[in-house]
This record gives sequence, C-alpha cells and structure tokens, in this order.
Amino acid sequence: MIVPSPVLDIRGLSVSIGTKPILKDVNLTIANGETVGLVGESGSGKSMTALTVMRLLPHAAGTSGRLFFRGEDLLGTSEERMCQLRGDEIGMVFQEPMTALNPVKMIGEQVAEGIRWHRGASRAEAEDRARRILERVGLPESRFPLTRYPHELSGGQRQRVVIAMACALDPKLLIADEPTTALDVVLQAQILELLRELVAENDMGLLLISHDLGVVADMADRITILRHGEVQDEGETTRILREQKHPYTRKLAEASTHVPVWENAAVPNDGKQELLKLTEVSRHFPGSRRGLFARGEPVRAVDGVSFEVKAGHSVALVGQSGCGKSTLARMILALDRPTAGAITFRGMETSSLGEHELRAARCEMQVVFQDPYGSFDPRQTIEGSVTEPLHLVDKRISRRERRERATEALVEVGMQPADMHKYPHEFSGGQRQRLAIARAIITRPKLVVCDEPVSALDVSIRAQILDLFAKLNDDLGVAYLFITHDLTVARAITHDVLVMDHGRIVETGRTADVLDAPKTDTTRRLLAAAPDLQRAIERRSTALGG
Amino acid sequence: MTTGLVAPEHEDWRHFARKALANRSFLTGAVITAFVVAVALVSFVWTPYDVTKLVIADRLQAPTASHWFGTDHFGRDILSMVMVGSRNSIAVALIAVGIGMAAGVPLGCWAAAKRGVADEILMRTSDIIFAFPALLSAVMITAIFGPGAVNAIIAIGIFNIPVFARVARGGALALWPREFILAARAAGKGAGLITVQHILPNIANLLLVQGTIQFSLGILAEAGLSYVGLGTQPPAPSWGRMLFEAQTMMSIAPHMAIVPGMAIIITVLGLNLLGDGLRDVLDPKLRREH
Amino acid sequence: MLFYALRRLFLVSITLLVASIVVFAVLEIVPGDPARLMLGINATEDAVAALRLQMGLDKPLVTRYFSWIGGMLTGDFGRSYTYSVPVMELVRERMVVSLPLALLALILSTTIAIPVGIFSAARRGTSADAGVMAATQVGIAIPNFWFALLLVYLFAVTFRLVPAGGFPGWDAGLGPALASLVLPAIALALPQAAILSRVTRSALLDVMSEDYIRTARAKGLPANTVLWRHALRNALIPVLTILGLQFAFLLAGTIIIENVFYLPGLGRLVFQAITQRDLIVVESVVVLLVATVIVVNFLVDLAYGWADPRLRTR
Repeated sequence: MIVPSPVLDIRGLSVSIGTKPILKDVNLTIANGETVGLVGESGSGKSMTALTVMRLLPHAAGTSGRLFFRGEDLLGTSEERMCQLRGDEIGMVFQEPMTALNPVKMIGEQVAEGIRWHRGASRAEAEDRARRILERVGLPESRFPLTRYPHELSGGQRQRVVIAMACALDPKLLIADEPTTALDVVLQAQILELLRELVAENDMGLLLISHDLGVVADMADRITILRHGEVQDEGETTRILREQKHPYTRKLAEASTHVPVWENAAVPNDGKQELLKLTEVSRHFPGSRRGLFARGEPVRAVDGVSFEVKAGHSVALVGQSGCGKSTLARMILALDRPTAGAITFRGMETSSLGEHELRAARCEMQVVFQDPYGSFDPRQTIEGSVTEPLHLVDKRISRRERRERATEALVEVGMQPADMHKYPHEFSGGQRQRLAIARAIITRPKLVVCDEPVSALDVSIRAQILDLFAKLNDDLGVAYLFITHDLTVARAITHDVLVMDHGRIVETGRTADVLDAPKTDTTRRLLAAAPDLQRAIERRSTALGG
Repeated sequence: MTTGLVAPEHEDWRHFARKALANRSFLTGAVITAFVVAVALVSFVWTPYDVTKLVIADRLQAPTASHWFGTDHFGRDILSMVMVGSRNSIAVALIAVGIGMAAGVPLGCWAAAKRGVADEILMRTSDIIFAFPALLSAVMITAIFGPGAVNAIIAIGIFNIPVFARVARGGALALWPREFILAARAAGKGAGLITVQHILPNIANLLLVQGTIQFSLGILAEAGLSYVGLGTQPPAPSWGRMLFEAQTMMSIAPHMAIVPGMAIIITVLGLNLLGDGLRDVLDPKLRREH
Repeated sequence: MLFYALRRLFLVSITLLVASIVVFAVLEIVPGDPARLMLGINATEDAVAALRLQMGLDKPLVTRYFSWIGGMLTGDFGRSYTYSVPVMELVRERMVVSLPLALLALILSTTIAIPVGIFSAARRGTSADAGVMAATQVGIAIPNFWFALLLVYLFAVTFRLVPAGGFPGWDAGLGPALASLVLPAIALALPQAAILSRVTRSALLDVMSEDYIRTARAKGLPANTVLWRHALRNALIPVLTILGLQFAFLLAGTIIIENVFYLPGLGRLVFQAITQRDLIVVESVVVLLVATVIVVNFLVDLAYGWADPRLRTR
C-alpha cells in the first residue's frame, strides 16, 4: 500500500527540557483521513508530542529531528507561520474541557474568533460559520445560543465547543490529547463518535492521544505505543492488538483487561449477615435561585434508594457522572445526611446518630478516594495519615501499638514498614493508593467505600490495585462498595451491581448477569459506551475476515 | 486572593534553607530585616548619643564625622534617634500583626468550618471594618481616647483582624473539600481537631507571607499616624514624628527628613522582599517550574 | 445581573447602616458624656449643660441615633461647635478639594500602573521586567507623606514650579487650582501605582498559565494578542479588588497629605476637628468618608459582575 505524502511526518524527534530527555527518536506518520492512536502511560511523553507538533512547548524545551506537516518542516519555520497554521490547518482538542474555555467570553465569540483571525471574515460571516460548526458538533443554536457562557454548559458540551473551535476551518490535522478522559463513558462514546464523523467528512488526519488502549482500539487505523519517550511498538491496529508481539504491548493489553484471581470471586453464599441497609434514602438540594425570592425546583440528587450490602460482599454502584452515586456514598459514610429515609449499618441507624455515637460505626466503615494526590495531608507523615482512623478506637493506644498497627497495615498493602516515616510527595500515584487502602483497613473495618479508586491510575497500576482489593477481601473478609463509571472494574472485582440513573437505582443483580443480559436502557447504554479492548479486537477481526 | 500557597508539599528544613538561599529576594529581605532588628536591639544598650539630651549649640548640623546623619533643631543626634525610633516602629507593627493574627486566624478558620450564617456574618463584619481604613479608625479612636502609641496599635491591629480572617478563611475553604480532610472526617475527627491538625499547618505559609506584608504596612501606618501627631508622642523618638519636625526645616536641613524617610523605606523594603521571597520559596506552583 | 446587583445593593445598605451605628457608638456612647469631652475638664457646668441641650444629649440614645441619621440623609449634618456653621456647609466647601484630589490620584495611579503591569507581564523574565519590578518594590516602601515632603522640597522650594501648599480655590481658575493639586496627587498616586502595577502583572501571569490561554494559542493567535484579548479581562478581577481598596486608602491618605500641603480638604477638616474635639464634625465627616468607601466598593462589585459572567447568576 503506497501512502501518498502524509499530512504529518515525524522523523527522529527528540525533545528535552533542561538535561531531562522527554522524547527520544520518535517516528510517526499520519495520512489524510487516517486516525493514528498514540498510547502510553503517564509520563510517556505523549502530550509532549502533541505540544511539539503545535510548537507550544515551554520555552526551556530543546528539540531535534524533523517534523513535516504537508511537506513543511515545522521545527524550522517561523512563529508567524506557526500562527497561520494553528487553528487553521492544525486544530487541537485538550483533555480538560472544564478549563479549556475562557470563562468570560461567550461560546459564539470564542468559536468565531479563530475564523475572523484567519479568514479576515466580518463578524456576521464568522458568526454564521460558528453557528454552523456548533450545530455540526451537536450544539444547535435553538438550544445553545451563541451567547452562552462556558459555565452554562456541562463538561461534555464544553468539549463539543472545543472541538468546534478546533474544526471550524476544516483543518488537515486534528490533534486530540486525551479528549475524553475527563468525561464519563457515555459522553466519551458520543465525543469519539463525533470525532470519527468529522475525520470522515473532512478527510482529516487525526492524532488521538490516550492512555486507554480500549478507546484507541476502536478508533485508530494505526497505533503507536510510547513508553518513557520511546516508541515501543507501532503498526496497524488490528495486527498490533491481535499479535501483541511486543512485550510492552502485551503487558498493556493484559493490564487493561485484567481480572484478579481470588478465592471469594465466586459469590459468597447467601444468608450471610446483613451489613448495610438503605431504606428509601433521598437527598435533595435546594434549587438554584431564579429571582429575589423564587427558587428553582429542588435537585433530587438521590431519590428513594433502597438496597442492602451483605458482609464480605463486593458491590458495584455504577452510573454516569451526575447520577448521584457520590452523594449516596457520602451519606453512607455519614459525611452527609439524607433528606429522607434511613441508613442502617450493623444495626445502627447512622442517618440519625450524633457525631459521638457515630464513632462505633465509623470504626467499622472506611473510605478510599479517587485522587491519590488529594487524599493525603502533604504536611503529615505517612504514619500520621495511615493511623488517623485509630482515633476512632475507644481504648487508648500507645505509640508503640500505633506503630505496630501501621506496620501491619503497610505490609498488608505491599508497602515497606519504613515508608511510614516518609511524606506523601515521595510516592507515586499507585503507591499512594496503596497507602490510602492501608489507612482504610487499619481499624479492621467491615465495609470500605471506594469512590472511583482506580480511575486516576495507569492501567498497569490499576491491575495491581484491583489485585490488592481482591486479596484483602479474601484475607480480611471486608465488604466493598465500589462507586465507578467503569464497567470493567465492576466486572473484575464485584459480586453484585447496582445501576444508578438520575438519583434512582434502576437495575440490580449479580454483576455477571446484569452486564451480560442488561434489562434497562441505562445499563445497555453504559455497556454500549464502555470501551472494551476484547470486543474491539473481535470486531476488527471479523471486519477483516468479512 | 487566589494563590497556590495552600497545601504545598512537605519540606524539610534543609531543603527549605537551600531554596531560600538561592532566592535573591528572600536573601536580601532577610539580611535587611535582620539588620533593622539588630539595630533596634542595639539601641537598648547603646546609641552614639543620648537622645534625651538637647545640645542647642550643635543644632541643625549637616552630616559630619561626629554626627554621621547630622543633628536636628534641638541638636539631637539623628542616627541615635533613628536607632531608638526603630524600636517603636517595630513594636507597634509587630503587636498589631499579633492582634490581627490572634483574633483573625481563629475567626477565619471558624467561619470556613461552619460556613453558612457564621461565615456570612464574618464576611460582612470584615466588609464594615474594611470601610474604615486604619487611618480613619485611628482618627476616631484618638478623637475619644487621645493620641498615643497604644491607641495606634489598637487602630492598626483592629484593621489587621479582617485581613488575617479573610486569608485564613480563603485558605481553609480551599482545603475543606479536599479528600484528606474528608478522610479525617471519616476517621471521626471534629472540625476543631481537623482545623488544628490539618488546616492550620497547611495555611501556615499563607499566614506567614501575609504577616510580613501586614508588618510592613503597620510600619507605614505607624509612621503616618505619628507624623500627624496621633501616634507615638514626644519626647519618645519615632520616625513619623521626626519627619513631622523636619517638615518646617525642609529648606535649611533636608537631611532631617531624608534620614528617617530612608529608614522607613529600607525597613519596609526589607520586609516586602522577605515576604515575596517566602512566597516564592514556599509556593509549590512555582517550585515545579524550577 | 439585575438580581446580582440587587443583592449587592441590599448588602451595601446593611453595611452602611451598621457602619453608621459603629461611628455613632464610638463617638457618642463610648465617651460617656460627649459634651464634657468636647469642652474639656475646665468648662463650666453651665456651658456643658448648654452644649448637651444643643446636641440633644438629654434624649434617649435611639431617638438621637435616628434624628442624627435622618439629618444625614436629608443633608442636615448638624452644627459645628467650633466653626458655628452648619457642618453641611463645611463639608461642601472642603469636598471640592478632597474629591478632585482623590480622583486625580486614582486616575494617575491607574493610568500609570496598568500599562506598566501589562508591559512587565508581556516581557516577563527580561531585564526590563526586572527593572520595573525593582522600582515598584521601592515604590511600595515609600511613605506618601515623605514623598510629598520631597516633592515640595524639589519642585516648590528648589525649582519653584508649583506652590508649596495652600489652595487658591476654584474661583482662581482651573490652572492655579489644578497646579496646587498636582504634587499632592502625585504623592498619593505613585506608591499606589507601584502596588497596582505589581498586582496587574501577577494577575496577568496567573491567567497566562490557564488552560484556556493555551486553547487560544492553539487557535493561532500570537502570544501578545492572547494577552490582550483573553488574559486581560480575566486578570481584571484582582485588579478591580485592589482598585476598590486603594480608593479607601487614597481617601484616608488625604488626611495626611492635605496636612503636608495645607490643603483645606475634608481630611484636614476632620483632623482639625479632632484637635479641637469638635465631635459633631468628626462624626459626620467620618460617616461620609466611610459611606464613600462603601459605595465605591459597591461599584467595584458591579464591575465584577460585568467582568465575570459567572458571578451574575449567583
């Protein structure tokens, strides 16, 4: 197959900041209408590749190699020329839609700005074009007037505006840096579909950067796998993923479909004692103000939820972002109180207890958060943080005993006892998540609530943390409530699943049963949207065979 | 005030010292501040001349070998007066900062922990205090209680309270939703304990930087009040008072105004540099770029 | 936006009300007997009694407060004890000096500081930036009254370009009147300009590291265009905050500066009233100054709403 002169041709690109090498001898080409996936874990240099193509690297960065855009060497060209290319022939979409738009400018203004700048169009012409492209990305003027401000839109809608800005002038090359990482699976599927359509319509080249092999497998014609700034594996998606010749590719693929092996994997027998019970729990927030005295309808974040968790069971609570799962988790942890209904934990009605009576309950119930960086006080030693829940134990604990319990907990999560004297910044994200788990199990709780515990982690680390959760369930018999939008996590580590939508539980059952034969639209939608590496490979194989 | 000072990574002292020594602002500011404090301390035990003794024969001398900075219209040695005056400035400003911190920080932390009505009341009260600039409140206080250093301290100190309350509140509000605070709540810790164990250590940087700023503003305010006769009263020498006395002598003895003025500028400059340096040294956002 | 403005207006009225109560309490309740305080310990009982009657001190506190505040609202500020004229007249006379002075200083400091701040931010890291920042660092440290003394020595005493002090009145013509306000305005403005330019610079630099600035660059706008079109308006909020605070400082600063230049303004009036213990004048002028500060801060709040659409819906 002869590829005509590619739209982007990177040859032997190296980038360093100071003396630290960021990219080493990277080669990558993209043809017209082709989607190339650039995959790597955090720190692999994939975002740096994108910024180098845009020539938006920090000033201190040094580059060498060649970087041809439609035959023109971008590394050698002037800043004026780059300004002509950016936004006109090369568009870029960023990861964080919540901060990517200027908060004080209307969306129409922001989309039209590039059009006026590059084409010298009048305001009316530019707005006309902005209107059309916004309609194209799914924001028709009838519902989303050009005068909207970014804060009036949701994350998914904002990402559509960013895409509209990047594609307003039909660029030849679109660079999308983790465009869906900040979004939930359903929105992710919608945004990816939009990108796919735009590529086909305009015959653009698309450089899709992602940490998620599943996302890229569905989208990309070819894949380049990056690690520590070096290309590990590169080639057609189907071949790369089916053959998995390169050990690192194999490792990534295995990690992203990893299912822990654990004794309790088979559903523990029923009839076990009930641990947590929710009866018709609701949480309403006052509506936003509509005027001096009027308030909008109250927001029913959680609306009449009932379920049970049995001792030693692992239960997933899945749903799109904003469906109320985090609010529910906070109420279970007694960090927030329900507007109505009752929460009973080991026979105590926690939803009506005072802070002092809650101590006994809190001792049996701990929490692991999503963000491994935010969950530790940067000014406390690991010992201080990990032993913090011992505050709940009624009897006085000597310094020595605290140490012993900390040591025990650290060993259980696979860390060294000496780590307790260090500070959080000395650990990586995965290590911090282990430490967070150590903190959660130090009081030997019966229930650990985990709010998206692995979604901020790289796939290889994620696999290890899932193994750890499985092991602790085996060893300690601790029950889990996993709050997640990621169905692979639910499938890997839970016995039962609760599907939540708009504050209500819409479907419950054994995880395997529900996910294999969904009964509601909500579950079906989540399933269809979830990127699934195995499914993508199968689909590609049949397409190739047929 | 938006700042990335909240919750920086932990620093051990050696690391901090290395960073601080590499920061030119911090170093210059620290040296100047140390010098001013040293001069103030020395003035307790020794000054070139006795500032209470009037030697009319030596009056209005320009700087000479025996009077480095000249003499004033009573023949007093200006260097000695500036040295003694520094005590006053530092004491007034330092106590005023102390008042501001002691009252403002607990209030700010309390408002951030309680939110709602308590918070609203604190913010509105601070709005009201902000409507009375330090000088204006000093004017009111001295109108009733008469002028003097103590009243100057109270006036400046009261104005410092809402400043520290707002800084503490802002820092604490940014910390409360953080996950490590939620974890502490899940560990059964109450608002008070969390504030002491987690909030205060993490906003200490912010408060330290604000402290140096208020300290330098306090020195300026004290000088202003003494200049118009509402602050430190004669015969106690103070920089502002010296400037007032210099005003009428401006055409014949400009050194009388220049020397205390420079003393104020150098002190305030030193403190500001120290504050800026501290902010840079302690700010994790800046650190990442280095 | 209307709701936002109304809410702010409501809060401003409350603030004004409480501030007036504070002033009333400090000057009329704390001293115990204001009439005695005003006349001094040597005054005769008869004189004190007469003044008590004139000030209405025999009436209950609440009645006194309301008649005072009612008078303020209708333009009746009471009668000065030392000048024996209505305070309103004094205020009107002095206002025409102080207000132009404060405004002149504010305009001066803003027109200097904002361009300097932008210049420095656009050239961050260069020697020009370092020079400007060093100059502002010194500028902040200079006490305005000392700077005023220096200016007088230089431009009035040595070069005789402008009068050293006093105010000829607006009747003497715009030129001479303005000439006598130039030095005081500069003395007030320059230290404030130093602060404001630093705030402008750091606010701009903060904004320049935001994600949406990168988005704008990805649109093809050159760095400087992005600074003007995207960064400036976002950086405006901290700048506005400081501007609001500075107005209060400038107003208070006039108390000192008017003394240096012997300007017959409000600051000098209140200062003289204190030395003469004319509490009626002090009370009215302090409330007036405080009210001005509050109203200016209200305007700053409205400007926030204009600058940041996110605030309007709150």
